[in-house]
Amino acid sequence: MAIVDLINVTYKYPLMDVPVLKNVTLQVQEGEFLAIIGPNGAGKSTLCYAISGFIPHFFKGELEGTVEVAGVKSKDSSLSEWVLKVGLAFQNPFNQMTGAKFTVFDEIAFGLENMGVPQTEMKSRVDDAMAMTGISHLAKRSPYSLSGGQQQRVALTSILVMQPSVLVLDEPTSQLDPIGTREVFGVIREMSKRGMTVIMVEHKMEWIATFADRLVALYDGEIILEGTPSEVLTSPQLASKGFGLSRYTLAAQAALDKGLWPKKRPFPITLDEAFEGFRLINP
Amino acid sequence: MKERLSLYVPRDSVLHRLNPLTKLTLTFSIILIGFVSSWFWTAAALIITVIIPLSIVGKVQKEYFWTALKLLVPVAGFIFVMQALFLPLNGKEIFRFWILHPTFESLAQGFLTAIRIFAMVSSFILFLLSTHPSEMMSDLTRRGLPGQFAYVIVSTLQIIPQMQAKAQTIISAQRSRGLDTEGSLRKRIGALVPLVGPLVFGSLVEVEERAIAIEARGFTSTRKKTFLHEVPDASVDKFIRLILLIIVALELMARIWQS
Repeated sequence: MAIVDLINVTYKYPLMDVPVLKNVTLQVQEGEFLAIIGPNGAGKSTLCYAISGFIPHFFKGELEGTVEVAGVKSKDSSLSEWVLKVGLAFQNPFNQMTGAKFTVFDEIAFGLENMGVPQTEMKSRVDDAMAMTGISHLAKRSPYSLSGGQQQRVALTSILVMQPSVLVLDEPTSQLDPIGTREVFGVIREMSKRGMTVIMVEHKMEWIATFADRLVALYDGEIILEGTPSEVLTSPQLASKGFGLSRYTLAAQAALDKGLWPKKRPFPITLDEAFEGFRLINP
Repeated sequence: MKERLSLYVPRDSVLHRLNPLTKLTLTFSIILIGFVSSWFWTAAALIITVIIPLSIVGKVQKEYFWTALKLLVPVAGFIFVMQALFLPLNGKEIFRFWILHPTFESLAQGFLTAIRIFAMVSSFILFLLSTHPSEMMSDLTRRGLPGQFAYVIVSTLQIIPQMQAKAQTIISAQRSRGLDTEGSLRKRIGALVPLVGPLVFGSLVEVEERAIAIEARGFTSTRKKTFLHEVPDASVDKFIRLILLIIVALELMARIWQS
């Protein structure tokens, strides 16, 4: 059974004439890793907010259709209860720090304090979550003294400690350097391996290709393509609509006309796939 | 760069271990007594017999001394000079120069105001030096202070230094594009304009994102909050608070009875 179930979701922000999401229907299975791609303004972040309950509880505006997680409609729940089902982390790690806590340990415990978790349970849950994301050594540091990658892992940990069943990530690595990106993806992959349902907006195609079970391409508020990463990411339809494709895919598409890429072989997304394909023509 | 705007100095002392509310009660008691008392030397006596000894008990005498010297002496000195010179009080004139004719009365009044302000700010400094801001807030929230209010106070302590850093970045960015931030006063004020826009609008976006981030962690939950750090409230604390309240009440009654 699908854990996340969106049926005909259409959403308009307040004071806007055109909807940002148009008739989006999407199911995500329990334990699935779903990636969402799309050019700027396609409605990716809005989709994240709709799944994580911020639409309709934080952003007003007009929402049609239903968003259901584990059998409960988001309209029928309050935001503070919904965040226990769906956790949300986003781009800017700095803005995800509460500013009210002076150590990383306290920062991560913030959500549990709000939810009224007893003190002893709180401590062990924070300890476990930090061990899981590999930041135990940062416990006593100030959240503002960390690098971007460390800060983003603290942000992720403070969501994970709430033990949501679905994790929604809105471009969690877009402001990080390559080392920070690798650290954060490491955590996300670990969560996925442990059976958590992950929905991630991401631009880094090579990472998506190695991680995601399924991929959804969003364009102008609508889902235009859906499938496995290799089906979607090599589709010629994407390039014409301004999606940023993997440079390996672009290279192979250009090479095909000149006979430098084997005909009928699917286009590559990662370096390894490209390497193998080009080797067949020129060994 | 400083990561937060706080005077707190971590030390292991009796003063640090007191409950924040006890210290807050002490602070306000000192202020009230200092201002209400009819005896001329009360505020000065409080500084010498209470505040300075307490700063030694709290092992923060060095920090207290420097903050007082850098912040308080100039402010109190300024108040003293202004009041002594300009208060139109009758009495024995000390000297006359131009429009200035200080009297012994205005001198005394100036001293009284200055020393009262000195005592007031001193007791606050002592409180801030020995109390961790988040400890104070979690204790006050537990006693019924709204969570939103506590959040605003504590987060400001950390966010202002971050905003200063951001302002610095914006200035550097504008300067690297040729903005002149040095020179005449008019030029400098003009240079503020391209700084304010990015800083204000950037901060507004940040506020929305931060609101989302704390909502994602159940900030508006209606469940009963719990606290990671229980701030101890010993019977000694309750005793000290009771004594302080009695002293303040007696002082107020004495004052009312006198008049």
